[in-house]
Amino acid sequence: MAGKFNSNRRLAIAEFGGKDVDLCMNCGTCTTICPLSEDSGGGFPRRVIRLIQTGRESKLMESLDPWLCYYCGDCTTNCPRRANPAETMMAARRYLTARYDWTGLAGLFYKSALAEIVAILAVGLFVTLLFVSLHGPVVLQRVELNTFAPVHWVEFGDWIMAAVLSFFLLTNALRMAWWVLGGKKMLRISPLLYLRQVPVFFEHLFTQKRWRKCGSEPGGVRWLKHLLLVSGYLSMLTLVLILLRWFQTDKIYPFYYPQRLWGYYATLAILYPTADFMISRGRKKEPIHLFSAASDWIFLVMLFLTALTGIMVNIFRVNGLPVATYVIYVIHLSIAVPMLVVEVPFGKWSHIMYRPLAIYLAGVKRAAAPAAGKSTGQAAAAVAA
Amino acid sequence: MIANANTQRHVDVLIIGGGIGGLQAALDLADQGYQVLVVERRPSIGGRMILLSKVFPTLDCASCITTPKMAAAAHHENIELLTYTEVNSMTPGPDGHMVVLTRKPTYVNTDKCIGCRMCEYACATEYPDPLEEGLGSARAISVAFTNAIPQKALLNPDYCLACGLCLRACPTDAIEFDQQPRKETIRADAVLIASGFELNALTLKPQYSAAQSRNVISPLTLERLLAPHGPYGRVLRPSDGKIPGSIAFVQCAGSRDQTIGVPYCSRVCCMYAIKQAMLLSGALPTADITIYYMDIRAFGKGHEQFYQNAKAMGINFIRGKVSRIDPVDHDDLLVHVELTEEPENFLRKQRHDLVVLAQGMIPQWNPSEISPVRLGPDGFVVTPDPASPCATNVPGIFVAGVAAGPKDIADSIAEAGAAAMEAGAYLYRHHVADMHKRPQTVALDVAGNRAG
Repeated sequence: MAGKFNSNRRLAIAEFGGKDVDLCMNCGTCTTICPLSEDSGGGFPRRVIRLIQTGRESKLMESLDPWLCYYCGDCTTNCPRRANPAETMMAARRYLTARYDWTGLAGLFYKSALAEIVAILAVGLFVTLLFVSLHGPVVLQRVELNTFAPVHWVEFGDWIMAAVLSFFLLTNALRMAWWVLGGKKMLRISPLLYLRQVPVFFEHLFTQKRWRKCGSEPGGVRWLKHLLLVSGYLSMLTLVLILLRWFQTDKIYPFYYPQRLWGYYATLAILYPTADFMISRGRKKEPIHLFSAASDWIFLVMLFLTALTGIMVNIFRVNGLPVATYVIYVIHLSIAVPMLVVEVPFGKWSHIMYRPLAIYLAGVKRAAAPAAGKSTGQAAAAVAA
Repeated sequence: MIANANTQRHVDVLIIGGGIGGLQAALDLADQGYQVLVVERRPSIGGRMILLSKVFPTLDCASCITTPKMAAAAHHENIELLTYTEVNSMTPGPDGHMVVLTRKPTYVNTDKCIGCRMCEYACATEYPDPLEEGLGSARAISVAFTNAIPQKALLNPDYCLACGLCLRACPTDAIEFDQQPRKETIRADAVLIASGFELNALTLKPQYSAAQSRNVISPLTLERLLAPHGPYGRVLRPSDGKIPGSIAFVQCAGSRDQTIGVPYCSRVCCMYAIKQAMLLSGALPTADITIYYMDIRAFGKGHEQFYQNAKAMGINFIRGKVSRIDPVDHDDLLVHVELTEEPENFLRKQRHDLVVLAQGMIPQWNPSEISPVRLGPDGFVVTPDPASPCATNVPGIFVAGVAAGPKDIADSIAEAGAAAMEAGAYLYRHHVADMHKRPQTVALDVAGNRAG
């Protein structure tokens, strides 16, 4: 399958942060220095860069390689041309996120920080107005959050949102699978094969364990921090989606009660890594933190603010400050909701789906391929220099 | 202590560097009647070329070309050679360039020394010979090498035990333990820089493990191994003396790499690697020889054919830059490379007995520290006027060979000739032609300016 040559492709990737693609002279240093490339069989980053340079869009679309890279930056450190292969891989992920998304919003947000900010503000304003106009009675004698914002209504909103966001995310994921597995060929693969690989998806969703092999950094410190963040995020998701009636209550439990402890854990597990990542991005010491697109900052800031306002709701509530509690609650949701709406299906957060899905699809592809043991990177591999 | 012998001499041209470029320029100028002084920092003239085995693309013997040039320069009536001499400063003035030199002590009176080597035979101390890239050994007092010019002994104070054996052996009482560095000032109407190159450090990229393995070698070391009069007289690998069965050439190991500050191409590595690979396949007919390259730059006359011949001889050419070399058991080396032209199984870890790193060419000497001569960002001397390709930014100072940028022997010789021509024309315009117009003696005022 020869991909169509598209001489404009390089411009397209530049909009997603891949500005140094043209500097690459395809020496292959990056591929051999990459600690993950070998067992992925993909020959990345160079062969991904090559696809971008030669504008072979369809080949890039079926490639899983960008999702198998965890950005240790060893390739960028060693690149003799300072062509930033790691950042090109990042740009390729943004590019693919935009291509998977059928609404076009992901592409819009990645290309224009202004658009992303406007979208966040618009959704935030909508949430604020919703509360301003529809909130319940304001009890000032004591904190009655469930009177101000009845939990069953909030829960209802939660599930509506979850359904809508899942719809977008899942349809995008389906598009990814469609391209990766070769379109209609996807339908010919036995459902059993799909089923058998399902544990792989969850294994990598919860552990990101391939990351531990990534990079020369000792001990996988960044992987641990990221794992902490994921645990915080998944905890929070469980608390506000499945256990909301238990979590949002006017009853004040003792400090050691799981309802409070779990909430505190989730808060810290989000606050600490996001703060740490923001500081690192500001300091620009490691290759991964050298280049920060607006989308990277927006994502971190929103996540941080969500956790911060969340814990403030708790603090005001526990200390019996009714007005402060109600106000910060509205602010909290006016940050959390737009963050989820914009980031989960259309933004950086979609990688929570695409990364484990890529490993899952690689497994399916390998299992479905004839016994010759074709590797996951076969698509990319077919493109010799 | 530097004895300040207040000597000041005049020459027409002072040439810095007694390598093949400097000697060519010296001969070309001397043949036109100019008085030439060649300053060489090493104990012998001949530069890098005299230490090479053969040259590309003709496979001519390197010393068969260099030795006659060296001898011609040494015997030319208009050429004087100052070996083992460093240049301290160059100051342009109204009466030419004042060049201050330091003549380093050889601890041997060169007027008395007859080059009989009795001292060398008597000497009890040996050290790794720098001219053999540390593989062979040299005596603490010795003539630099067999066909060195001048054929004078030189004592290395770092290794000398001052035992006195040489003193007793010397038939002419030439050995002087109390020699001191001497300063000398030369007034030269023109200066020609032909200071040549050195290679950047073998250990520059720690990924290549040169500090961990003696079998990661410099191409200059391989030249010595290949030279008929080299340290072993045959090709053996340094760590254990094994005959290497599999040899890798890692190209661009010190060039075209921004992580080590050498973004430019050194221009000669492709060709000498091909040459060395050919010579190796002659010396070791059963050896596997692989050249890992990014691009083969065979742009000179006869170079492409030379490359094609090497391919036809069965030398493996693999496109891909080596990212890492790991030392493995039995002193072998594991070369990590992506075979960028292969569609499958392209990540390769190839085992080799011996690895040659194509180090980058960098300038040997920095004239900008001691003179107004300007360098480019790459460290090579700038030649601002494209119509005068050997002229530096300072009138009367010219440059040739690798001092101006990486180039091979043939180009260096051609450029040396061009520089000699430019220097000759300059001398004629500014000094010889003037001579006919102005009085023979020029009065100077107190400040040293020409009066009147």
